[in-house]
Amino acid sequence: MTNHVYATPRTYVIVWLTLLALLALTVGSAYLPLGWANTALNLAITVTQAALVMLFSMHLRSAHPLMRIIATIGFFGIIILIVLSLFDVMTR
Amino acid sequence: MASGVAAIAPQFDDAEQQRSASNLGIWIFLATEVLFFGVLFAAYAITRVRYPEAFAAGSRLTNITLAGINTAVLLTSSLTMALGVHAAKEGARRALVAWLCLTVALGVGFLAIKAVEYRFDYLEHLVPSVDFVYPAPQADQVELFFYLYFLITGVHALHVLIGIGCIAVIAVMASRGAFSASYFTPVDVTGLYWHLVDIIWLFVFPILYLVSRS
Repeated sequence: MTNHVYATPRTYVIVWLTLLALLALTVGSAYLPLGWANTALNLAITVTQAALVMLFSMHLRSAHPLMRIIATIGFFGIIILIVLSLFDVMTR
Repeated sequence: MASGVAAIAPQFDDAEQQRSASNLGIWIFLATEVLFFGVLFAAYAITRVRYPEAFAAGSRLTNITLAGINTAVLLTSSLTMALGVHAAKEGARRALVAWLCLTVALGVGFLAIKAVEYRFDYLEHLVPSVDFVYPAPQADQVELFFYLYFLITGVHALHVLIGIGCIAVIAVMASRGAFSASYFTPVDVTGLYWHLVDIIWLFVFPILYLVSRS
């Protein structure tokens, strides 16, 4: 397996500042009357934040493909679980 | 391993293979953690789809200020952990111990703020089964929201507590010189766990605190 290439401290700080900015954005947007789009926006921002943490802090960007596959399986598992459960509940 | 040199277990060819195996192991564990929390999120999604008004009302009663501060605290602890792993990679022992201690402090800070928040919830009679008063329609459904709120934040807080314990142990090991630039897998693996706990909170925050704030 290939060697890990870790991010630099500078990258970690930039990622941290971006995460804090996205936090401010998600809290701020929650107070705008957007209806269902509020939830969609909050979730989109959260997924972006999670992706930043996984790609840089958890160095998936340079990880072996096997790690990326496992990380992806976890997230797809959760999506399948929620979506299929909702199909059942919402079509009764 | 006190010498800071990688001790290679007999089943591995070299240090790199051993390191990869550890990483693969923690990623598989993290995937099961994601599914563990996934069940809670699925329960939340189903209940929210059924009782949207009650979930909006319940969410407005949560403490967004403390939770917002806590999110920033946890994001910052993720930064200090990442810088700790970087220090480990550079073989900078004192910096590593300092970053790990800072991460522990931020983790403890998160739990302290969470405890204050729970106390406010209790004073506002929002604890299901213990003291829950909601003098408006759909009280049962709002109570259901707070069951999920305490379950999800409680299980997450437990993960933070376990993370703090692991990082504290790693910090002690680091101060005794257990790691070096060529061997710091335990630091790396603990960091991955800590980042995942951070990611889970990033999902918990909007679904519990930001529903229908406008």
